Amino acid sequence: MNWSTIWSNHGLFTSGLEGTVELAATAVVTGTVVGLLVAAVRTSRVPVLAQLGRLYLEVFRGTPLLVQMLFIYFGAAYQGISNITVYEAALIALTLYEGAYMAEIFRAGIEAVPRGQWEASRVLGLGPVQTFTTVILPQTRTIVLPPLVGQYLSLIKDTSIAVVIGYVELMRQGQAVIDRTSDPVAPYLTVAALYFIICFPLSLAVRRMERKAAPA
Amino acid sequence: MTAIDPEPEARTAVTARIALSGVHKRFGDLEVLKGVDIEVQPGEVVVLIGASGSGKSTLLRIMCDLERADRGEVWVNEVPLHDRKRAPEIFGHVGMVFQQFNLFPHKTALGNVTLALLKVRRLSRKDAEERGRTALARVGLAEKADSYPAQLSGGQQQRVAIARALAMDPAIMFFDEPTSALDPELVGEVTGVMRTLAEEGMTMVVVTHEMRFAHDTADRVVFMDGGIVLEQGTPEQVFGNPAEARTQQFLHRVLET
Repeated sequence: MNWSTIWSNHGLFTSGLEGTVELAATAVVTGTVVGLLVAAVRTSRVPVLAQLGRLYLEVFRGTPLLVQMLFIYFGAAYQGISNITVYEAALIALTLYEGAYMAEIFRAGIEAVPRGQWEASRVLGLGPVQTFTTVILPQTRTIVLPPLVGQYLSLIKDTSIAVVIGYVELMRQGQAVIDRTSDPVAPYLTVAALYFIICFPLSLAVRRMERKAAPA
Repeated sequence: MTAIDPEPEARTAVTARIALSGVHKRFGDLEVLKGVDIEVQPGEVVVLIGASGSGKSTLLRIMCDLERADRGEVWVNEVPLHDRKRAPEIFGHVGMVFQQFNLFPHKTALGNVTLALLKVRRLSRKDAEERGRTALARVGLAEKADSYPAQLSGGQQQRVAIARALAMDPAIMFFDEPTSALDPELVGEVTGVMRTLAEEGMTMVVVTHEMRFAHDTADRVVFMDGGIVLEQGTPEQVFGNPAEARTQQFLHRVLET
C-alpha cells in the first residue's frame, strides 16, 4: 500500500469524481421525472397507458442495469445509431432503471393519500393535474422522501457500472491508477471514500428534512 | 314545501335547483338505488334520513357527481349530470362537506379556504385571502386562519371545511354525515353553523343521523329505505305522524338512543 501514489494521481481522481457527479446529478433529475410520470400514469388507471407503465416497470426492474447499459450502448451502435456517446447511453440506462424503482416509491406515496382528498378537490373544481400537483404530491413528501433518497444513494453508486462502456468516472479512474501503480488497496479505498463523501451528506440532509417536516 | 304546482313537468325543470328522476345505481351485485325521484327548490333545506345502506349517501354523492347514476336523469343547478360531457360544469359551483372533513392537511385553514379561489377562480392572492377570511368569519373561525388542520378540534376542522365550500359561493351545499366523525360535545358547533346557513336561505341537502337538527332545521325530511324514497314531508309529518311502518320502526330505533 502506497498512499503517495494517490496524491500524485489526484488529477485522475478529480476528473473521475467530476464524471460521477455529473452523471449522478443528471440521472437523479431525469430518473425522478420518469418516476413521477410513470407513477401518475399508473395511479390514473388510464387503461392502455397504465398497463404500458406496468410493463416498463417489470422489464427494467427484472433485468440487471449492467445488461441494460451494455444493450443500450452496443445495441444502439448495432442498429446504426453510432453517434450515441457513452455518457448518453449511461444516462438513458440509469434513468430508465432507477426511474422504475422511483415510480413505485411515488406510487406508494400517492396511494397512501386518502381518496377523500381527490374528491374534495374535484368538487371544488380543481382539475386532475392541479389536484395531483397542489394537493396530492405535497402530502406524499413524508412518505416518499426516505425511500426516494435511498434510491438516490443507490443511483450514485450505480453510476460505477458505466465503467463497462468506458465512461470516465471514479471507478474507471481508480482502475487506471491501479494499472499504473500495481497497488489495488489505496486506490480502491480512495474510490470508496469518495463515493461515501458524496452519499453521506445526502443522508444527513434528508434526516434533517424529515425532522423539520414532522410537526406539520 | 310540497306546494301544488299547476304545470309540474314544465315548471320544475326550470325552477328546481335539483331534479332527479328514475335514478338507479348499483355497486356490483348490490343495487343501492332502485329508482329515485326527488326535487329540491331554491332555498329549501332537505334532510335525508334512513338506515345505513338505504342509499342516502350514494344519492347525495350522485348529486355532486362523485358517483354516476347508472340510469335516470340528474339535473343539479341546471347542469345535466347524466350528460357526461356537461357534468364537470357542476364542479366549483356546489359545496360538499364530508364526514371525514377531507381538509388539506399541508395547508393552513386559510390555505384550505383559498386554494380553489386561487386555482379555479384565479383570484389574486389579496382578493382570495379577503374572501377566505370572510368565509372563516362566517363559521366563527377568523382567528384560526393560520392554524393547520391537525392543530384544530374536529368541530373546528369541519367548520373550516364548511368555510372552504362557502368561499366558492356555491348554489347548493351538500352535507354527507357532517357530524358523524365528531365527539358528541362538538356536534353542536357544526349543526349551529349549518342552521345559520339554512336561515340565510342556502339551498341544502343533508344526510345526517342528527334527528334534532332534522326536526328543527329541515323544510322537508326524506326517509329512504332499501334504495327508494319511502316517505317524505315536513318534519312535523315525518317525525310526528309517519305514514309508513318502516319509518316508524326507524325513528323508534334512532330516537331511543
